Parts: sequence; structure tokens; C-alpha cells
Amino acid sequence: MFKYLMTNRKITRRQFLKSLGGALLFLTSARFLEGLSLAKAEGFNGRQKSDIKGLHDLVVSEGENSYLNVVEAVKAMGGMERFVKKGDVVVVKPNMAWDRTPEQAANTDPDVVASVVEMCYKAGAKRVNVFDNPCNDEKRVYESSGISKAAKAKGAYVYFTDSWNVVEAHFPYKSKIENWPVFRDALTCDKFINVPVLKDHGLTRLTLSMKNLMGVCSGNRGNIHVDIGEKLVDLTDFIKPDLTIIDATRVLIKHGPVGGNLADVKQMNKVIVATDPTLADTYASTLVGIEPSSVPYIKEAIARGFGNSDLSKASIKHIKA
Amino acid sequence: MKRLIVLRRISQGAFLFLFIYILWSTTYPLRGALPPKVIFQADPLIMIFTSISERVILPGLIFILPFLLLTLIVGRFFCGWVCPLGTIIDGVGALSKVRKRHALLGDRANAKVRKFKYLVILVIATGSLLGVQLAWIFDPLVIAARFVSLNLIPAVTLAINRLFVFAIKNFDLYGGFYDFYRNLKGSLLGVKIYYFSNAALILLFFICIILSAVFVSRAWCRVACPLGAIYAFLSRFSLLSRVVYTCVRCRKCKSDCRMGAMNDDTDYVKSECILCMDCIYDCPQHTSRFVISPVSKKAIAQREEVPGSGITRREFLLLSASAFFLSFFKLERNLEYDASKGLLKSLLIRPPGAQDEARLMDRCIRCGNCMKVCPTNVLQPSAFGQGLEGLWTPHLSFEIGYCEYNCTLCTQVCPTGAISGLPVSVKQNTKLGVAEVDRKKCIAWADDKECIVCQEHCPVPEKAIKLIEDVVGDKRVYRPVVDKYLCIGCGICQNKCPVRPERAIQVLPLAALPDSR
Repeated sequence: MFKYLMTNRKITRRQFLKSLGGALLFLTSARFLEGLSLAKAEGFNGRQKSDIKGLHDLVVSEGENSYLNVVEAVKAMGGMERFVKKGDVVVVKPNMAWDRTPEQAANTDPDVVASVVEMCYKAGAKRVNVFDNPCNDEKRVYESSGISKAAKAKGAYVYFTDSWNVVEAHFPYKSKIENWPVFRDALTCDKFINVPVLKDHGLTRLTLSMKNLMGVCSGNRGNIHVDIGEKLVDLTDFIKPDLTIIDATRVLIKHGPVGGNLADVKQMNKVIVATDPTLADTYASTLVGIEPSSVPYIKEAIARGFGNSDLSKASIKHIKA
Repeated sequence: MKRLIVLRRISQGAFLFLFIYILWSTTYPLRGALPPKVIFQADPLIMIFTSISERVILPGLIFILPFLLLTLIVGRFFCGWVCPLGTIIDGVGALSKVRKRHALLGDRANAKVRKFKYLVILVIATGSLLGVQLAWIFDPLVIAARFVSLNLIPAVTLAINRLFVFAIKNFDLYGGFYDFYRNLKGSLLGVKIYYFSNAALILLFFICIILSAVFVSRAWCRVACPLGAIYAFLSRFSLLSRVVYTCVRCRKCKSDCRMGAMNDDTDYVKSECILCMDCIYDCPQHTSRFVISPVSKKAIAQREEVPGSGITRREFLLLSASAFFLSFFKLERNLEYDASKGLLKSLLIRPPGAQDEARLMDRCIRCGNCMKVCPTNVLQPSAFGQGLEGLWTPHLSFEIGYCEYNCTLCTQVCPTGAISGLPVSVKQNTKLGVAEVDRKKCIAWADDKECIVCQEHCPVPEKAIKLIEDVVGDKRVYRPVVDKYLCIGCGICQNKCPVRPERAIQVLPLAALPDSR
């Protein structure tokens, strides 16, 4: 057709209609294909929690080596075999949001993540997925946080999230994040292990396990900050993490959650392991001397009776690694 | 077996592949085999005339020497064997049904139009002597690179991505196929699908140039290419020439020559020959050859003496004069700059390490390297926001991306130093602009709600966005204010602000601040 148009100067009515029709078909088919490739996300009603309890409600391990810290703490909880069964697909969700080095303490310690991944595989996991939806450029974050390298060395699948591979969150009650897009992989897994880092945060005072779950959300995430307490408790209820391992090896105590100044980092050398995210968060906030009820999502959890926020009622074990 | 033609096609293909490979790998972490600067450092037009107009010796100037020397030996090989734009133009020309490919141009017209490129380079040269760099407008490597970086690669990655997504979603391939796609995304394909505003303008410019080949083969190379003009001028003195031993005057070589370089069957315009080797195989007598033969000055003069080719003295003077006058608007601007009436400042936000506005416009060759390499896609080609001179210069658009705090990639890839290289620590303290909160839009100020996403993302270790604590009713509210001294204008606050359609925090260029004057 092109050659014809170039060599002959005349065009018949039939040819005109044919090319017009062809162009229209091409353009509409492009729209149609676009629609197919970005079809609407399906709804999802929340993960089923495995409800496996540990030997204790919460274990705190202290020691120089963060890797051993995690190993000992999980062992005291009853071992990873208690939580991860043979053939399980496990999601390990670290805090891997900022283009910062491990020393700057804005992301989870890579050794902590590596240790969790290794234990999952030893417990018989079929596959361990590690991902986050970072705030800085994905590639830079994955590399500079050191997590990608450390987790891959232990055999984990570390990948970037896809904004099209999401489900819409549906709740049995009225929620302010009804229909929020959540990454499918976070929900289709058998076990979800949340591995946040304890650090300062401007709005919520502290970034803890519930705040770390914002990393499985897609969409305009800034909007989650409005009424953040309610939304994060809803989200935690939706994801239902099976195990929460809070990294308090290096703690950013000021200018969080990004930091950048090594002077703001406090070496605490602790790791907290719990099955109840509320309990883990409550305990972690007392570690840095912050009243739990001043953290919006813990306050909301207390008000709603979501999880156990009373440290006096929990069995807490301290160990040295 | 047309061995030489096959060889040329392999060379063309290899260089086009290399060209696209270099630009494709111009991305974080910048670990391609060759740095992207190298494309333009091997380009005499850019290197020589930018050096002259900017009064500097650009690093990498030495890379043009092998090309110039080889041209002195064999002739205009670059156009026929290397130039990626030439290769694309050949490809488009092959689509054309017009068999006698210079049929639209008679001999006299052909001889006339091909001197236009010398006029182009004359204008560029006059401009550069007066301190105006015009080489970028018609440079073939720049045109090709800008097309590849800002049109081709984004379109191809988009298409591949969509195909994968379509397949995965519709055929439920969430297993190994999805893993393969994820690996591809992390390595070859790139995590982001880039978007460039006004990219259609770049595409249009490119299409106009390559489509000219449909009507007259290699029209752009014959008529307008200033880089071709440099090589054409040098190839007059080259050692390799075409010789026809026994000619039967069949004129086949003449009617098939893609450059229209044949005068008659035995003679040709040497400076127009791009060594495509077609005439060797066209010749029914098989007596057309290229041989090394040092030729006398007289022979050179004779060969070029075709009525209507070459520039007359009158044309030369007229053109020099007009180019001189054309440069006046620029001179005036420079004078204003020198008389310290204040720097001419941009109302666009320029990348870190960019020269000041007047110098940036001259230095920048609009190759698109900085925009291609930017990890957040914040660098965008300007349209006419800064006048015609500012066309396609890089500026930051925080609605699309933001300047990554630890990243200095754009300062590493600029071939002419329009964006000068910065160490990370210097870049982190380079002020691009200053953020300002619009208290009427901000949900913390206007609606007393929790937000401060801007403060959360601020990468400055001391936080350039401070919080004001307030109690409204029984609720504690934090409200953001910008510390104008700490703020570096990276724009992540504007980019991440959840308020739509206009963000409640916006980075203003330094020139827009009242106290900067």
C-alpha cells in the first residue's frame, strides 16, 4: 500500500475507505490490547493466618553478631521448622526502602535477612521471595541496602514489584483502605515473615512491623498517611504476618526514616521475634523509650483490641547470643 | 558473490548495533563496555566546533583523529560504512519503489543541492568563532542518538513489557515464565518504562530526515549533513580512487549510484563517494575498481570542477556575512552577561552540575544521554519553554521523577561538559531549586490531617523539611515547613506528595526566588 501510494498519484474511493478502515482497526485494536494487558485487578479477602504459636510470646536476643542473634532468637521460639513447613512458599519482607548503606540503618540489616532466608530453606521451604516497594530508585535501593546480594547468596528470589500484579483488598468490615491495590505475591504465599527495622519516623514516631507492611502496597501510597493508625492496623489484619522479626541491630534514633548521618545511629545489637505484630511493636517501642500509645498504629491496636499490647501479660524471653 | 557489499552491510549493521548497545546500556549502574560519551567524542563536527565556540579543549578530542586519518587514506568511509543514521537512511531508501533513485534530481540540480552542506558547515563555523554552537542541530550522530534514546528504546521496552504482561495475565503464566520476565526486567529490559514529554517532536524531526530517502536516495547525506561535509572535504585528498578500465558507456553505475556521485561513466565526484561499492558490481564489464593511487593536485581540481558545484566567492562572502549577523542576538546576550547585569537565570530547573543558563544552551548538544541515564526519569527534554534556543535541553520535571540524592549519573555521561562531572558529596550539596509548601493545598495545613510524606522522603540527613507541631481539638497535627538553607531542591517531596492534581509542595527554580536577585 505504501509503495503504491508512493508511485501512483491517484487514489480510488475503495482504496481510501480501505486504508481508513485499516487505520481505525489498528488504533482500536491497540486500545483493546492495552485494556487486556492492564485488566482490572481481582478482589481478595485477606490471607489466612497459620496461627502457629511459638514457645514464648516474644523473644529478645542480644549479641554482637546480628546473624547469630536471629538464629538464636528463632531457636528459642521453637525453631523455624515450627513455622515453615516443607514445600512452603515464604515471603520475607524486609524494610528495603531507601538508597542507604547498611551502616546508615535506614533499611533492615542484610545479615538479618540472609539469616531468615537460610533458616526458611533449612526448614524445607520450596521458595523464598524477598521484595519491597522502595521509596527511592529500586535498583539503587536493592544494591546499596546490601539485602539483594545477601539474600540471593542464600538462594532467595529477590525481584522488583510490578504495579500490575496486584489484588484489591476487601475487608469483612468497613475499612478506609477498601480496594487498595496490594501485591499478589504477598498474599498467595504460604507463610509471610515480616522483617522490619526499628527506626525513627516523623509522622508515626517509629517505623515498626505494621509500618513496614506499606511495602506490599501499590498505588499512591502517600494517601495511607491520612489516618495512618487505622489503615495500618487494617492492613496488618489483611496480611496477617505469621512471624515478625524486628531488627534492632542498628537503630536510627533521629531524622528517620531516611537518616544519612552516622551520628544518628545507635548500636543496640538486638533482635525481637514474635508471632503477634502488636506485641512485637509494643515491645520494640519501649526499647527506644517511646510510649507505645504515642505510636498511632499501636494506639489504634490497643483501642481495637487487636493483638496483645500488654507486656505484663506476655511471656517474654531474653537471651544472649 | 558481492563480497565488498556484504562486508559493508556487516560493518553498517555492526556499528548500528554497537550504537544502540551503547545507548541501551546508558543506564544505572553504567557498566556498559563503552561509555556513552565515546559516540560523540569520535564525532569531529561536535568536538571541533564545540571546542571552538566554547573556547575549551574538550576531553576526548583525540578520538576524532583515527576517523580523520582514515578518511584521508580511503575517503568518506564513515558515511557509507559506520554512520548509524546513514544505515537507517539506507534501510528506508531500500523500501522505496523509485528504482532510479536520483530520478527526481537532474544532474545540474544534483550538483547544486549537494553544496548546501558546505554552506551549513560554514554557518556552524562562523557561529562557533563567534561563540555560538550550532553543530548539534544537523549532526547525524546527535539526531540518531536522540531518536534511539528518547523514542526507540522507551517504545521498545514498553512494547516488550506489555507483551509479557499480556501473556502472563491472560495465560496465567505466573511460574517460571514470570521469573524469566522478572530477571529480564532487572537486567536487560530495565525496571522503568521511560516517558519523555514532547518526544513526538523529536520523532517528527527524525522521520522528516529519514523519509527524504524515499524520494531521493541518501538525500540527507548528499544535501545537508555537516559531518558528511567535513568528511567530503577531506576525502578529496584521499589516496583511494575509483578507476574504470574499459567503459562501454552503459551508464548503469550512474543511474544506480545512491549518492549521485557519477559525472559520467568513467569519472566521479570523489568527495561525494561514500565507498558503498555498488558500482563495482553494477558494471557489466567488471572493470570498475577502487585502487590506491596518489593523485596530483591538478587531478583533484579537475575532478571537482563541475559546473554548479563548489562555492563561489560571492556565495561565501554573503553567507559569512549573514551568519555573522545571525549571531548578533547571541552576542548581545553574552554582553549582558559579561557586564554583570546579573546572571541570566533559567526558569527551568536544570540538572546538578549544569553550566549557567547561557553557557548550557551553547554547550549542550541535545544528545539525550543525561535523560536516558537518569534513573528516575526526572530529566526531560524542554520544548520551547526557554525559547527556540532551549529546545531539547534537559530540565527536571518533578511530577514525573525526582533527583536521586546519591546519584551523579547525568554528570558522568555528558560528552561536552554542559553538565560537568560532580563527586557525590558535591552533588548532594548542589542546590537545584527550593521547595515551597502551598498551605492552601497541603492536607496537613488546610485539612489538619496526618500526612507529612514530604518530610518522610526528604533525603537531606538533617531534614530540610521541618515539622511544626500543633494541637487541633484532641488531635496532634504535624505540619511541614521548608528550611530554605538546607533544601537542595531534589524534588522528591513534590514527586511523592499525594495531593492531586497539583502537588501541595513544589520546587521553584532559584531564579524565581525574590532574594536570589
